[in-house]
Amino acid sequence: MYPVGITIRIILLIAPRLLFSIFVTKTYEEINEKIRAKKAVVYTAEEVIDLVRKKGAEKAAEEVDVVTTGTFGAMCSSGAFLNFGHASPPIRMTDIRLNGVEAYGGLAAVDTYIGATALVDPPGKDYGGAHVIEDLVAGKDVHLHAWGPGTDCYVRKDIDTTINLDDINEAYLYNPRNCYQNYSIATNGSDRTIYTYMGKLLPRMKNATYSSAGQLSPLLNDPHCDTIGMGTRIFLAGGEGYVTWQGTQFKTTPEEVNGVPVSGARTLALIGDMKQMDAKYLRGLSITGYGISLAIGVGIPIPILNKDIMQRCAISDEEIYAELNDYSVHANRKALARYNYAQLRSGSIEYEGKKIRTSSMSSMEGARKVAAELKDWIVKGEFELNKPCLSLPKEASLKPLIEWKE
Amino acid sequence: MDAKLKIDFNEGNVQGSVARILVSEFDLVPNILKAQIEGDGSGIMIVSINAPEEVIRKCIDRLNSLGFIASKMDVHILHDDDRCWSCGACTSVCPTKTIYLDKDTFEFRAHPDTCIACGSCLDACPVRALSLNQ
Repeated sequence: MYPVGITIRIILLIAPRLLFSIFVTKTYEEINEKIRAKKAVVYTAEEVIDLVRKKGAEKAAEEVDVVTTGTFGAMCSSGAFLNFGHASPPIRMTDIRLNGVEAYGGLAAVDTYIGATALVDPPGKDYGGAHVIEDLVAGKDVHLHAWGPGTDCYVRKDIDTTINLDDINEAYLYNPRNCYQNYSIATNGSDRTIYTYMGKLLPRMKNATYSSAGQLSPLLNDPHCDTIGMGTRIFLAGGEGYVTWQGTQFKTTPEEVNGVPVSGARTLALIGDMKQMDAKYLRGLSITGYGISLAIGVGIPIPILNKDIMQRCAISDEEIYAELNDYSVHANRKALARYNYAQLRSGSIEYEGKKIRTSSMSSMEGARKVAAELKDWIVKGEFELNKPCLSLPKEASLKPLIEWKE
Repeated sequence: MDAKLKIDFNEGNVQGSVARILVSEFDLVPNILKAQIEGDGSGIMIVSINAPEEVIRKCIDRLNSLGFIASKMDVHILHDDDRCWSCGACTSVCPTKTIYLDKDTFEFRAHPDTCIACGSCLDACPVRALSLNQ
């Protein structure tokens, strides 16, 4: 017979391990310790699918510390804050052009925000704010032409010079809406070709376009934002960035299938230092008939804190559905059908017995590069995870814009 | 070699059969990639054939002798590898599936042999990485 005290001590020693094997709970600090020791086990959200299928979520959660996600698609609600520094004599800029693209003149003297969709003046050169951002990150010189009212403290009325990323003070992307959780599949039921933000849509539903990294997409791997929140450290276009807030048009109301929404739903507001970025993860886009947008590579690490988080990271393209919409219909559009991302990536889907060819508006190849590079950073001990300081809303719905009539 | 012939016709020979000539006189297997007739009887046809260079030249001479204006078509799609980010937006608007994404890597791929230079992909590309070599 062991004395009671020793028995209790043994139980106390074993209990945490038993609990660990039952619930597999890890903390951010434990994961970061492993990252610092270069011992963290990291999988991409694609690689982990097979592991969870073979071993089950519980075993996999014991083994895996971090799952990296990635996406590389058009994200219109993006832009850059810039501070040019002061010229001598100084100017308070109120009308600002960068390579002919208008930037916002309503901030302090030499601060501006250039939006991704801003058009070059005059329009029509396949160039806009997104291209200015890409050019800056690529290290190219950008033409700055600005005018101001001329005041006692800022006497100057205009300036015409060039800037580049090294020469200006701050340059950071602040994107009010990135990483849409899921998105529509666009087709065109009319009898003429239409040009939309979802690309060129041929008449009579000859093709359909979609835009999601599916099984690799950040918000499809953490669908209820259990780990992604304000302060989550991320990969933003090749540099370090952060989630700063819920994205605009954030909503939790769309129907879910297999635990993930079948349409829009959640979004993220992101920030990141442009001086760390790599232009290969940015693309200024000129979408015919629509305008300018910016494609950005975003990667978000998901800490495997427990088996539920692990299970959700194992979602595959076959389980993620999106809705087919006719973009030639302009009001009260209704979803026509649902398809999963494995079907969409196969190159064609069927609707009412008719074959519709499919193509993507976001780069799966790029999304994989993002997830792989973020994984590499973590494995090498160069990137630790940040615990969010605030959760994103658990419930949110969208309001329409009302036109009040007398 | 694989070659594409561009054949212009007019109201005088619009009823003639180019395909029949290529089959019966040259024993070729023509594949009509594009055929278009305007209201005035004029039009163009693009035919792909697989034949030695010399036979292709003879085909062109023979068709020209019948009043068609035949020429070898070298126009095809050009792709800017640096600009392309493999989104794939171009792939579903290509009528001949000349451009596609690799099944495994999702990288942009093209086999210009089947390109009929229709230009449908040009304005579908958001980074303007596609052009025709004309």
